[in-house]
Amino acid sequence: MNLLRVEKVSMKFGPLLAVNNASLHLSQGEILGLIGPNGSGKSTLLHTICGRILATEGRIELLGIDITNQKPNLRASLGMGIKFQLARIYLEKTVRENILIALQASLSIWNQIRNRTLKQSADEIMKLASDFQLIDHLDTPARELSHGQRQWLELGMVLATKPKLLLLDEPTAGMSPKERSDTSRLIRSASRQCGVLIVEHDLDFIKELCDRICVIHHGEIVATGRPKEIENDERVKEVYLTRA
Amino acid sequence: MCWGQTGIFTFGQAALFGIGGYTVGLITTKTTITNLFIALSFAIVVGALISILIGFFLFSGKRVGELYVALVTLALSYICERLANSWTFLGSGNGIPGIPFPTILGKEINSNIGLFFMVYSFFAFTLIICVILVNSQFGLTMNAVRDDEERAEFFGYRRNKVQILVFTFSAVLASLAGGLFALSEGLVSPSMSGLALSTTTVLWVVLGGRGTFFGPLIALALLQAVNIQLQNILPSLWTILLGIILLLTMLFLPKGLSSIPSLYRQRKSERSAK
Repeated sequence: MNLLRVEKVSMKFGPLLAVNNASLHLSQGEILGLIGPNGSGKSTLLHTICGRILATEGRIELLGIDITNQKPNLRASLGMGIKFQLARIYLEKTVRENILIALQASLSIWNQIRNRTLKQSADEIMKLASDFQLIDHLDTPARELSHGQRQWLELGMVLATKPKLLLLDEPTAGMSPKERSDTSRLIRSASRQCGVLIVEHDLDFIKELCDRICVIHHGEIVATGRPKEIENDERVKEVYLTRA
Repeated sequence: MCWGQTGIFTFGQAALFGIGGYTVGLITTKTTITNLFIALSFAIVVGALISILIGFFLFSGKRVGELYVALVTLALSYICERLANSWTFLGSGNGIPGIPFPTILGKEINSNIGLFFMVYSFFAFTLIICVILVNSQFGLTMNAVRDDEERAEFFGYRRNKVQILVFTFSAVLASLAGGLFALSEGLVSPSMSGLALSTTTVLWVVLGGRGTFFGPLIALALLQAVNIQLQNILPSLWTILLGIILLLTMLFLPKGLSSIPSLYRQRKSERSAK
């Protein structure tokens, strides 16, 4: 069974067809890249998968369960986690509090009031902060972190929810080459426990990291295959690679 | 709890305060019930039921903006005041006078000091509960919903459940306060659920500082003192002066009076760094 199955999904904004009959699938432990020129519909497709917008046609399944019209919190409870392009973290809260917010998301309100997981969470927070090189900033307000650290914090927060499917919207945007390489390592490590779908502009990053790549153009998926196959695909060269 | 911690900008606290007061007024004057806890239980239950209904209407669907919540709750206050003013069952413009003193185990609390300690005990009890809630893991959840409710939903939080719960909890506190007011003052009137009190409660929070417990209390004490002084000195201009003071506070102290100590410390450390 596929972890994620997107079947003939379309998304219309009035007369504009942003995504047209797009289909893709993703297995456990796989890293799938979704690339395409600006305005090709890749972010729209990602947003229909995560539930930020609802698809006008088609079907989306997570672990065989139809989630096409489910709310984001229900998708999250089924194991979907998303990292947005611009890090959406809680700027006034410390790094520790940010990770705790993510860790306790599935806890009942009653157990939150009773501080049921505060002690157990301490170890997990330390581990995540250590993995994401934030251990020296645990009590620093997120506002004071650098751009790259904010991106890592959000990635760490999403991983704290132990997702089965990790959606990443341009995770290396604005990062230095060193930060990009570290992020690549972190994503590779995360993919051992979940499937990863990455929307990204950086072709080198995608080619190096992904097991398979989907190319989207004018809302349609025009090619899917291994990085080598995609590199040599004439249609892809025509619509995307020559423009990059 | 509502605005400061969860980001629910409500003008409905006065309406719930009035509902609590009128419930206690009706229970104690139309029946023989004078027991403090029974009378207040009625206020709490009525306030909670009404706020759950409003909460579902406001938060169960798609995300709504702060302004939408503010307008709906402002309308609620207006409706409550008009209803209290025109419905004879509620005493119309005269309200409900002659509310008997409350009793505990058959003993009447009829002295000022007794009534003061009755109100103060409830105040201390509810304040402790609020402090515990805000400092628990649930406090972080409230703040997560306040600061970015969509992000919170993508982590798996049931945003509407949190908002309805906090809205109802705040309404219960307001109804309880209204009930205590009715029992200690011996009367309820339409103005206690109206627009004036609604905006005044918001002003306490603005002036004192959103997200703090003691800021609004300081603002309340300060505003009352300034009100009395200005009314005596400048009977025709005091409301304008009060408006100017509030405007200046919002411009120069956007986080309210409670932010003065931290601002002072920040300036001091900046000076010593130079």
